[in-house]
Amino acid sequence: MNEIEIRELTREYGTTRAVDHLTFDVLPGRVTGFLGPNGAGKSTTMRLLLGLDRPTSGTATIGGHRYTDFTDPLYHVGALLDAQAAHGGRTARDHLLALAVSNRIPTRRVDEVLERAGMAAAARRRVKTFSLGMRQRLGIAAALLGDPGVLLLDEPTNGLDPEGIIWIRELMRELATEGRTVLVSSHLMGETALLADHLVVLGRGKLLADMSMKDFIDAHSTARTRMRTTDPIRLRATLAREGLELVDAGDGVWTVEGIPAVQLGSLAAREGIPMLELADERPSLEQAYLGLTAEHAQFTSARP
Amino acid sequence: MSTALPTIPVLHAEWIKIRSLRGTLTALTSVLVATAGIQTLTAAAIGTAEAGSMGSDPLLAAYYGINFGQIAAIAFGASAFSAEFHNGALRTTLTAVPDRTRFYLSKISMVALLVFLVGEVTGFVTFVAGQQFMGQYAIDLGAPGTVRAIVGSGVYLTLMALFAAGLTAVLRSGAAVLSLLIPFVLMVSFIVGEAAGGFAQFMPDRAGQMVMRIEAHGDLGPWTGLGVLALWAGAAVTAGWIAIRRRNA
Repeated sequence: MNEIEIRELTREYGTTRAVDHLTFDVLPGRVTGFLGPNGAGKSTTMRLLLGLDRPTSGTATIGGHRYTDFTDPLYHVGALLDAQAAHGGRTARDHLLALAVSNRIPTRRVDEVLERAGMAAAARRRVKTFSLGMRQRLGIAAALLGDPGVLLLDEPTNGLDPEGIIWIRELMRELATEGRTVLVSSHLMGETALLADHLVVLGRGKLLADMSMKDFIDAHSTARTRMRTTDPIRLRATLAREGLELVDAGDGVWTVEGIPAVQLGSLAAREGIPMLELADERPSLEQAYLGLTAEHAQFTSARP
Repeated sequence: MSTALPTIPVLHAEWIKIRSLRGTLTALTSVLVATAGIQTLTAAAIGTAEAGSMGSDPLLAAYYGINFGQIAAIAFGASAFSAEFHNGALRTTLTAVPDRTRFYLSKISMVALLVFLVGEVTGFVTFVAGQQFMGQYAIDLGAPGTVRAIVGSGVYLTLMALFAAGLTAVLRSGAAVLSLLIPFVLMVSFIVGEAAGGFAQFMPDRAGQMVMRIEAHGDLGPWTGLGVLALWAGAAVTAGWIAIRRRNA
């Protein structure tokens, strides 16, 4: 009942399609990373889900309901759209109090979420005195008010200090483990790699990928093995016989694609080539992502 | 459609939003302070100088201060709404109350309720306090038209605030509305002066102030004049409703 369902979702602004026939599900119990370059349609999708914008066609529902059909939506969905979305003249507590009261959420929750977001000490300060990181924490506190089963977070690590980033990473893990649906958009690969179990990747409003983090990395990058050796010339010749190419990565490090470290080790041992260092290189999400966007060349070369 | 009506929780939230902004709350209290204060000070200074020293219509003269208080009412109506257009606050509001009509009607209702309460107190206090200093020219509380002016002045202030609130929802900027309306209400009356008739009598402030006059002035009566202001305010509130419903947040 906490499932997000996007079906053939399309939003046109004039002649441009910000979101183009998107169809995917976001399931509970895991953190789903929402990736794509700026302007790929991530924020538009989130705004359409929240009823802040109307789709040209298609539907975006949460647990089978359109967002605008919820009477007290904060009990179902918590959203962090942008850290600025609070009036600077209000105190953090009054900002949350107005939100809580409008959805019949007990006012003790206000103090609970302020505590959970590490904002208890700043509760009575005006929002305009806050740093970007504190505003993010306030936005997250607002998202948690109704103890919702679905969380939509747009670039939540923006402006957070390293401590804050670790905090939000752990918070999202916790929320997903509790069986909630967590959708987190980001354009930071390193961040997302640490956060997400599952990925939805957009490019120019279209769905490019919807798969687990592991499958995504496996599918869009090539495994490489890195090594050091005292005899690169013989190693190169040996590998060439196997149809493999040794690549100089500088600093005496060599890499080869298409053979895991286990096999390369025994091959080198058979040939009597001394190996000083040998390891599988773990392909990163960033490499996989760039691999994917290279496959969809039109998304990288033909920017508007 | 009944699902879009204001609910107690949403009205309560709108009250919290208004009371938690210093400027908005100041504007609301200024309605009373400016109207009654300026009325009293002016009456004390020149009230007994000669007959008609505060204006040719003795009842309207008892509400001289409302020329200033209405600016506070306009500022209140505008700032209560413009707060939603600061830093994208409206997005947060609409994620909590996705029914835009319910949100809009709740905010409009809370603005109206607060100005009406403050306005009625203002109408009474301004009259009583001002007349203390009018000496031989003082109007009795029981004189014809007095109760109508007291009640009507509160309604007048309410309608002016709603006029400003509706326009703010359309223009999405309190500053734009204030720079449009304040010169408008200050200048029109000043330029047109006391001349009766013509199109000027249908302007929001001129028409609405008919309810505070004892003598007929132009084509509009006290209640029809207030009705004309109500039409202005109603048009602005309707335009604001359409804007809030249609536009992307």
